[in-house]
Amino acid sequence: MSSQLLIAALVSGSVYALIALGLNLVYGTMRLLNVAHGEFVMIGAYCAYWGFELLGINPLVSILIAVPLTTLMAIGFYFGIFRTAMRSAEFMERIEANSLLVFFGTSVILQNAVALLFTPNQRDYRYADQIVHILDARVPVNKLIVLGIAGAVCIGAVAFFRLSTLGIAIKALIQQREAAALVGIPVARIDLLCFCLGFAIAGLAGVLVSMTEEISPYMGFPFTVTAFVVVILGGLGNVFGSLFGGLLLGVLETFGVALTAPSYRSIMIYGVFIAVLLLRPQGLFGAGRART
Amino acid sequence: MSLLRVEGIGKSFSGVVALNDISFSVGEGEIVGIMGANGAGKTTLFSIIAGNLRPNRGAITFDDRRIDGLRPDRISRRGIARTFQIVRPFGNLTVLENVALGALYGRRRERSAAAAQARAREILALLGLADRADLLARHLTLAGRKRLEIARSLATEPRLLLLDEVLAGLTPTEVASAMEIIRDFHKSHQVTIVMIEHVTRALMNLCQRIVVLHHGQKIAEGAPSAVAADPKTLSAYLGVTAPKAVP
Amino acid sequence: MIPILRRQIGIATLVALLAIGLPWVGNEYYTGFAFTLVTWIALTESWIVISGMTGYVSLGHVVFIGIGAYVAALTWMVLPIWAIVPLTGLAAAALAAVVGYPCLRVRGPYFVILTFGVSELVKFIVINIEAGLSMSGRVLFAAPDIDDLFFIGLGLAWLSFVGALIVSHSRFGAGLRAIRENEEAAETIGISVGLLKLAAFVLSAIVPGMVGALLIMRSTYFEPMQIFNPQTSVLIVTMAVIGGSDRPVGPLLGVVLLVALQEVLWASLPQLYMIIVGVLLVGVVIGMPGGVYGRIQRLMAANAR
Repeated sequence: MSSQLLIAALVSGSVYALIALGLNLVYGTMRLLNVAHGEFVMIGAYCAYWGFELLGINPLVSILIAVPLTTLMAIGFYFGIFRTAMRSAEFMERIEANSLLVFFGTSVILQNAVALLFTPNQRDYRYADQIVHILDARVPVNKLIVLGIAGAVCIGAVAFFRLSTLGIAIKALIQQREAAALVGIPVARIDLLCFCLGFAIAGLAGVLVSMTEEISPYMGFPFTVTAFVVVILGGLGNVFGSLFGGLLLGVLETFGVALTAPSYRSIMIYGVFIAVLLLRPQGLFGAGRART
Repeated sequence: MSLLRVEGIGKSFSGVVALNDISFSVGEGEIVGIMGANGAGKTTLFSIIAGNLRPNRGAITFDDRRIDGLRPDRISRRGIARTFQIVRPFGNLTVLENVALGALYGRRRERSAAAAQARAREILALLGLADRADLLARHLTLAGRKRLEIARSLATEPRLLLLDEVLAGLTPTEVASAMEIIRDFHKSHQVTIVMIEHVTRALMNLCQRIVVLHHGQKIAEGAPSAVAADPKTLSAYLGVTAPKAVP
Repeated sequence: MIPILRRQIGIATLVALLAIGLPWVGNEYYTGFAFTLVTWIALTESWIVISGMTGYVSLGHVVFIGIGAYVAALTWMVLPIWAIVPLTGLAAAALAAVVGYPCLRVRGPYFVILTFGVSELVKFIVINIEAGLSMSGRVLFAAPDIDDLFFIGLGLAWLSFVGALIVSHSRFGAGLRAIRENEEAAETIGISVGLLKLAAFVLSAIVPGMVGALLIMRSTYFEPMQIFNPQTSVLIVTMAVIGGSDRPVGPLLGVVLLVALQEVLWASLPQLYMIIVGVLLVGVVIGMPGGVYGRIQRLMAANAR
């Protein structure tokens, strides 16, 4: 029984890590709390759903639709909303709280736009749900696909940030914004790049999630919450840390629910969320002050 | 009778020693200067005295009562006020409202808004800000903001005022004007002053004693002329010749 | 009491007294509409005491509505209404005290998502408690009619508006503004920031708790998913921000605008309403951070010079 849970934990943990990766990129570079992140996951999920239902295309192919779509939305958002906002001195004075409200408003718009267009009902589709046996666990193939893709992207990300010049530049930007600018790192361009990457990864994650879970216009926010927990647990800007955090959260959640009841899932997620914010806002690995 | 006693204060930040075994005392009514290169630990010392930071070692006694480890608002109510090196005005409030807040809280703890405002106007007049009383604080020039910072601190009716580089960034005329003002309120309000300064002219002319810090250690203490001639001070400030008092 | 404050309270009281006549002038529909108006006024005026004045934006304020509603549902039939309503205010204040103490210690933006998280956490805890008690929703029998509910709501609206006015003009309010402008400097001039923030937070919870009791009396049904609805928090924030969260007059504008809009859209297209709310929130935060009232104030000040 335990290997069933373990695999389930790995699958959800890898998705959490993936979504957190996207959040980390936006949060780390621009220090903006993107509470609409989950909504872009939702959009990716709907892309895959409609791709499958209407056009009969394989969800993996839908990735090629979802990712450009969310990237385009990121660009539109960056130039349309944020560049405009940053021109106002009053806005910049309380940029953190203000940008949070802007993102929150955006999430409300997205949720309700999708609900208006596609009804608020939950939907799902069946893809690759044959069962395979691994150890003594019965696992549907789609979960393995999710684990495979999410895992590959995460590991690829770790390699990217360790080995490539661009990756190192991004890490530098996250850690010391002004110093990075001083050594010639093109801050504005990397901001935009990370913004787009973040949303693109969210879209990808949405496609993956849609394969194994039901989707609805309001599915986004719990993912935003878990992404925040992971980012904070793993330490801001720490890619490896958020991988660890994602897996840890996957384990905590899966085993926690197994020990108690499915209805306790939300309590646990929000409980961990609050506990982490209160007790260790700088994360298990990170350093930095979130306290007044 | 010493109003403030700093004894053996030590402070490190993640292994970096900012202050090491700092001891000195300040008598009531004195003006004491704190001198030192950037990074010597001067602002850290102020933050510890005012309660914004806790020391790792040592004790601070004010008016014969220990204050190290107390929260800044309690220390303010005991009678210590400080200005910040990078000024922190309440930007979207008026100059008058800024200073009145000092009177409403702090040691004075005025209850009525009217009385607080009256008190604030007195202090604004003293500091030459009366004509800008209804301006929003963020619309002041740097010199104005520095005066506002002092005014707000004075409004709390402190017995000890810690001035952190209030003359930095001012033109020579502004410096002379500020020095006059400091002399004035030192006398009229009977407030003991400890000032961190790089403007040596001010240190020499205003202070009765100077404490010199270097890399977190106290390396000299005494009358301005003595400190200026002290070989330790001179070697710490390599290349700086002994400053003369401005006539 | 300073003259301007006395005048403002006088005007508010006069308006409230006039409004008492409403149920006799209009029909039940209008009284219902007025009930909606006054409850949103009560909520937003309470909200600005913490979020407008200290800058600590609470995005989870519905939790106080919900807890008040829950206490009312639990004590229904056990206690008379005149005891239930103040009790719900007290319960909400107690929750605020417990939650506020740790939450207010974190910096601005973290506080925002933290309050949202707390609101959701409490919602799910209540859901689980109700499930444990085998309760799937509670019906409230013999609830007061809309006229009586309107009167209580009007009283709460008056209470929170006048409360916001008094805080705004008080030494306490000046301290809160200082905290908003620069918390460390505020502490340095002798303001006990922790205490003041907590006091503001607790005060901001009382009326919403009582509004919670009113809301379930109106719907005669308590269901945690419904009453702890995060959309309510968003609406409170939006109404206050649109109107201007700095002075008590501000939220009134936002409430009127959004409630009027709600009347038009809610029955047919609730999602469109929320989309417009979202757009307004984003637009006002970017374009008019002081809200409509702040913009009006600045225009008046510019004309005066």
